[in-house]
Formats: sequence, structure tokens, C-alpha cells
Amino acid sequence: MDYRKLEARLRTLDRKYSFFVTIARPQRLRDKGKLSRFLVSVKDCICVEGLQSAAGSRILEGYIPPFQSTVVASVLGEGATIIGKTNQDEFGFGTFSVNSGYGIPKNPHDPGRSCGGSSGGAAGLTAALPDDILHIALGQSTGGSISCPASFCGVVGLTPTYGLVSRYGLIDYANSLDKIGPIAKTVKDAALVLSVIAGFDPRDSTSIKREPEDYTKGLDRGVKGLKIGVPKEYLGKGVDPRVAKSVWSGIKKLESLGAEYQEISLPSTKHALSAYYIIACAEASTNLAKFCGMRYGASEPVRDSFNEYFSRVRTKYFGEEAKRRILLGTYARMAGYRDQYYLKAMKVRTMVIQEFKKAFKKFDVLAAPTMPITAPRFSEIEKMSPIHQYTMDILTVAPNLAGIPTLSVPCGRAKGMPVGLHLMGDHLQEEKILRTGKSLEAGK
Amino acid sequence: MKVKIGLESHIQLNTKSKIFCGCANPVNMKEEPEPNTVACDTCLGLPGTKPRANKAVVEMALKVALALNCRMAKETYFSRKTYFYPDMNKNFQITQYEIPIAEKGSMESAGKKIGIRRVHMEEDPAKLVHIGGLGGKHVLVDYNRAGIPLIEIVTEPDFTSPEEARLYLQKLESILEYLGVYDSASSAVMKSDANISLEGGMRIEVKNITGTKDIERALKFEIMRQGNLIKRGMEVKRETRMWNPDLGATQSMRGKEEEAEYGYIFESDLTMLEISTGMVSAAKKSLPELPDQRFRRFVKQYELPEKVAESVISELDLAELFEQIAKRVSPKLAGTWISGYLKKTLNWHNLRFRESGLRKEWVISLLKMFESGRITDRNAEMVIRYMVEEKRPPEKIIKKHSLGKAALDLDAVVKKVLEKNKKAAEDYRKGEKKALHFLVGQCMKETRGQADANEIKKSILRLLK
Repeated sequence: MDYRKLEARLRTLDRKYSFFVTIARPQRLRDKGKLSRFLVSVKDCICVEGLQSAAGSRILEGYIPPFQSTVVASVLGEGATIIGKTNQDEFGFGTFSVNSGYGIPKNPHDPGRSCGGSSGGAAGLTAALPDDILHIALGQSTGGSISCPASFCGVVGLTPTYGLVSRYGLIDYANSLDKIGPIAKTVKDAALVLSVIAGFDPRDSTSIKREPEDYTKGLDRGVKGLKIGVPKEYLGKGVDPRVAKSVWSGIKKLESLGAEYQEISLPSTKHALSAYYIIACAEASTNLAKFCGMRYGASEPVRDSFNEYFSRVRTKYFGEEAKRRILLGTYARMAGYRDQYYLKAMKVRTMVIQEFKKAFKKFDVLAAPTMPITAPRFSEIEKMSPIHQYTMDILTVAPNLAGIPTLSVPCGRAKGMPVGLHLMGDHLQEEKILRTGKSLEAGK
Repeated sequence: MKVKIGLESHIQLNTKSKIFCGCANPVNMKEEPEPNTVACDTCLGLPGTKPRANKAVVEMALKVALALNCRMAKETYFSRKTYFYPDMNKNFQITQYEIPIAEKGSMESAGKKIGIRRVHMEEDPAKLVHIGGLGGKHVLVDYNRAGIPLIEIVTEPDFTSPEEARLYLQKLESILEYLGVYDSASSAVMKSDANISLEGGMRIEVKNITGTKDIERALKFEIMRQGNLIKRGMEVKRETRMWNPDLGATQSMRGKEEEAEYGYIFESDLTMLEISTGMVSAAKKSLPELPDQRFRRFVKQYELPEKVAESVISELDLAELFEQIAKRVSPKLAGTWISGYLKKTLNWHNLRFRESGLRKEWVISLLKMFESGRITDRNAEMVIRYMVEEKRPPEKIIKKHSLGKAALDLDAVVKKVLEKNKKAAEDYRKGEKKALHFLVGQCMKETRGQADANEIKKSILRLLK
């Protein structure tokens, strides 16, 4: 492959769509390894040694990690070529990638619409690259940031079980929720990347001790006899009927391939959204404390006390949404509010997990729409209040809170825009959702 | 006036590596390392790095908790304590909050039971170096200290005097040394914050009291300051103060309205730590003989007076030295000398036995000479002093400074003294007993203590006949 041509091509694409924060100097392909033919883009919040890793934030502009994240080391070890850092909502704070410090990525299906977020650049780029270029994006999800853009851009997004993929080298949003996972054109590619990046890492204490697995192996086993639960709360009010219709046709397709489905109820879902935002913001507000212009990233001339200096840097370089979440999160963990918000949200989280655990005793996978809507126009997003934007995550936050694996697979279109079907599996049952996704994909 | 004092002590543990990364623990280094040379990506809190808990810290904390008779948690968590300060690599400190590793213990100190509220683990922040003093223009940050493991030990407000607080800290220090988790002779630091209230006043927190020596000074100052306020009818308002050892005074840091709000949440980069019964029993098995046990044994086995035993066991080095010496000379003599002259000399030089360059053999041969009457009590003390200063065996020191008995012609000295003090000699002959004391004293002075008082007396009586 001609790397100068490739770089030029990526730059042209980026000028039109703003998929990247940083485009890497192309590196020579390694001949050996499972990913030796693949280009890999990395979400900006995942550290790449020697390449600016800013998590989409101006406050981290110029931060070049002196160490390699485990996932990037893994894909490089399998021969992948890193092409750059993809655009995202600042620190993952958003559903539409409009909160980036480095331009707004545009949906390749309609540049007037959002790619979704927060891994918007990753999904948009995956959808935009032609089929002759083998590309996989490394994305990251806290509350739906892999599934949402995959759904809006019509590609496959895999959010692994919490702890299956090392977070070492990930610039944290909310440590108890963050997962790194692939966004790809096909289920098979996603499974291939997962096989490379999954595994125990002593540098991440939350990493699960487990034998490596080849997730590409059982992909074609089909869905005969597979039990699918369809939570009715996920297809009710607030879900665009055209989206629901498309998802139902996907479920019916699986039924025609031999799966059985049944409607179920997951009543905790309605509490999941508040619990998610409290926990995520509480953790985020502590994670963002370290950005103060002292050791890395943006800085300002020092002329007053450290307190004033820190405030000046943070005021200038954090975006609106980051400030909003710092305030929300700080409030939720302050003495006097901590019990009724932070600690209560932790209890709700346990409840949500138990509810999913119960459902998975009966069902192999759960199926629902990934997002209640298709990719909105930027003009529509501007009219949404922050709370309205938060409610768009209603279908993805519960599985993310529970740490269960999910797969968003394209299942059709509504009004010309892609719709994603969300497959949820029990902890460490990636194999089941991948196999189901593959059947759906093949049945297209 | 009634006083109530509680202490929170932070102790740097001597684990091989830091608490949340693989860096070496600087407290074990012979020389202080160059700034920022024992600091990694995690010590700097670089975005993307993750902490990982050092098991050795948990094991040490368990030992301490057992020695302080605490109740162990079955599961324990780390938490984030968030506040903005330039010595904090992440602007939050990883510590323990809701469920510390151990709670509800106690310690016997100076005949009193002191309640231990909790024991928990945390990381030390970086060190700030103020160029040009506290009001200077520049502050440098040394991340070598970031991540040194600390245990915090919080007492109930059970002390009623500064002395009690000091005795507790000294005992705590000795327990930690016996456990092998802290070495006061290393660069490891023990720092305490004291909560103190006088009857009729609010609780005042005094921060930054280093070691065991300053605690009494700091608390005495605070009692005087608060007492004066109360006497003058003024209010003692709740506040946080800082001990300034150079000034010998406490200074206001912040009032109640500025009280820090830490917004604790769980540290979800670290998983729950399970404290299994297996871990606890392993820690129990590894517990050495502790100061109280050793005290009782020394009193029983060596028949040491309690005061002597207490003094000998208070420092691990001395207790071990004693046991070795007691095999060769009379244990009572060894005990008296170690708790007396040796400790006095070491304290004077602010040294631990281990650091003093003294050898156990030297002390043994000196005491043997003393036991067999070859050196006087006073000269033997001087030999100890010279041994510490010159780091040479006693035989050489006795020769150099002529401190032995044999070298002396006592009668010649006495004759000289009697010649000089004819009046006193005459008075004694007339039956004035006091005159003899005076003459003995003069001879002692003349011999610079090399001679034994009894021998001098005998010689005087002989010569005056």
C-alpha cells in the first residue's frame, strides 16, 4: 500500500467529515499477525505512545503519552497499522459528537447529520472508508458510546464485558463503566479485533483473569434454538415507530433463522438513566480534577495563586458539557447529597445488574433498538436541551451500567438513515451476541 | 482545665515498592534520591495510567491492625478524596473512607487504654519544595514521594495531657519498629495531626506534627493558647491550625467555613480487597514478639526492674543488644547500662544504636572490665561516649585517654592533695568528718575520675595516720 497516497486520502476525507483529531504518519505494515492487512484508527481517548492523545479536549492538546496503551500494543503486535486518533465528544461526554474541541464529525450517509457519539469519528470513518480498505476502529463506551455511533452510521459496534479488555492507557471518563471495543464494517472484523485485544492485563486491576479466546470461531453456528428476550420497555414510548419497525423486522429475521423470541419486562430500565448519569458524572468529576495546566496539556502563564491558576486553565480549556458534568458529578458526591445521589445510584446499579442476570437465566440474548432515533440533523440537536440529549441514551445505559456485552448491528433503514439492532448478552457471553449478529448480517 | 486530645498519625511504610506502581520505595534508600528520579507515569498521574495495589501494603496494614487489637474488615475498598493542591498528582488522593481495613482497636499506653478508631491505607502525595521559603516565588514538585505507602492510625480522643499523647506515639513507634514496617532511623516519616479541645472551647485540629518529639511541644502550646483565650473570655472557634516547629507555635490554616469538602467516591480502578481469614491468620503467624510481651519476659527472665525493662524494650535495637549482652555479663548490669549511660549517649547524639557505629563486642568487653573492677563507673561512661565519637574499641580508648585504674599512683596524688589542703587535713584530724568528703572530692578532680572513691578514701586515711 502506498502510504503517502493513503495519508492524502485520509486528509481529504477528514477535511470533509472531521473524523480525526490527529492523523498519524503512516507506518510500515508488519507482514505477520492477524491484523497485518488492517488499518486501525484509535479513538482519541485511548493513548498511543508518541501520538497526541487528547480525548477530544482542548485541555489535553499537546499531551503525547510516553507509554503505550495495552490495546494499541496488542493490535500493533498483530501487525496492524495505526492511522490516527478519531474524533469524539470531549472525554466521551455526549451522544452526538458535537462536544469535541476539534470540529464535529459528520455522518457519511448525510453530512447534515450527526455520526452519533461519543465515538463518532470512529464510526463515521468506518462507514466512509471504501470496502477495499480493511479498517477497524478502536472505540470506547461508557454509557453507549460504541453502540450509538455504530447504529447512526450503519456499522457494527461491539462493547465487550467490563473487564474483558484492558483499560490501561485509556483516558478515563468513568472508571467503573469504561470499556474499549471495536467498531467495524462486519461482525467478523469486530470478532477478530476482540480476539486480539481481550485478555488479562496486570496493569489494569479490573481486568478479568481468563484464557484468551478466538471469537471468530463460532460465528457461523447460526441461531437455531437461540432464545431471544425482547424487553418491552425498549420498544415503547419515545422510540421512533420507524426505528421500532426496522428492529422488529430484524428480530423476525432471526426467528426465521430458527431463533425463538419472547417479550419480557425490565422495569429497572427507567431508573438506569438517572443512576448512570450520577455515577458517570461523579467519577468523571474526579477524573477531570487532574487537568489543571500543571503537568501536561494546555497551560497558561502563571501569575497568581495555584487555585486561581487552575481555575483559569479549566475555565478556558474545558468545553461546556465537561463543565456541566463536573458540576453535576461534584454535587452528587458532596457531603449531604452523597447518600441520596451517589450511594443511591450505586444501589440502583446493583438492581439493574440483578435484573439482567435474572433475564439471562431464561434468555441467551436480549434484542432491542440501539437508539430510539436515527441520526439527527445538527439543526435538531441544537434545539435539544442537555436533559433531552441525555434521554437519548435510555436504551444503552442499562447494559453499560451492568457491564454486559452488547453488539449493535445494522438492521435496515428508516427514512434513508441506518438503524441499529442492539443485542445484549450475559457477562462474557460475547460469543452468543456475535453469532446472533452474524446471522442477522448474513440474512440481509 | 480539662483537655481532650485525639491523634491521627500517618506513617510511611517500608515496603519494597510504592503502593500503586512498581517504583522502588524511596524510604529504603540510603541516600535521598535526586528529585523526580523515583517516579513513573503513574506517580505523575499521567492520563491513561492506572493504579494497582501493592499486596505488601495490605499485609503490613494487617499486622499493624493486629498489633493494635483491631477488628478486621472482611472486604475493604479504596476511595478517592478529591481536593486541589499542587502536591497531588491527580488532584485526588487514593485513600480509604467508608470501610477501612481495620477498626475499633486499642493500645495500652502508660497504664491507660487508648482506643484506636481506625487503621487505613493511602498514598503519600508529592513533596513541594518552596524555593526561597514559604513566601518565595517558586515551588518545585518532587514526585519521588508520590505513592509512598502510608497507614493512618486514628485514636479516640482518649488523651488528657500532651505527655500522654507523646507516650502513645513513642509506644506506637516502637510497635511499628518491632513489626518491621517502619524504621525511624530511615528517611521514613511519622506525621500526626492532633484534635484538641479544652473544656469550654471548640475542637481545634493541629496539622503537621512530625515524629514523637514535637507532639508535646505543639499540644502544650495549643493548651496555653486556647487557655488564654478562654481566660480572657474569648471564643475558641473551630479551625484547622498548622504546627510550625521553627516558631514553636501553631498558625491558623483555615476556619470552619473553609473546611475542606472531599466528595469521597469509590476508587473503581481498584477492586474490592477481600481480607480472608487465611490472610489474617498468616499475618498473625508472622507477628513478632511485641514490646509489651518482651517487657514481661525481660522482667521475668532477667529479673530486670520494671523501669529498666521498659527503657530497654522501647527501642528494638537496644532490646536485641540487651539479650546478646545479657549472655556474657550480668543481665542487671547490662540492663542498667543500656537504659542508662548508653541510651543517654545515643540520645545526646540523636542516634540509634544501629547508626552509632558501636559494636556489641565493644560494649561487652567494656562491661566485663567494669564487672571485674578494672575501670571505674565514671570512666566507663566516658568510654561509651568516646566509643560513639571515635568508633574505636574500648581498649584503645582507655589507653589513649588513660582511663584505666592500673595506670594510677593513687598515693602520690593523695599526698599532693593533702599538701595543698593542709587546713582540711587538719580539720579532719580534729574530728570534722565533712573535711574527708572534701578531700576525696579534690582527689577525684585531680585524677579526673580515674580513681575509685573508696580507694581514695582508704589512701587518705592511711596517709593521715
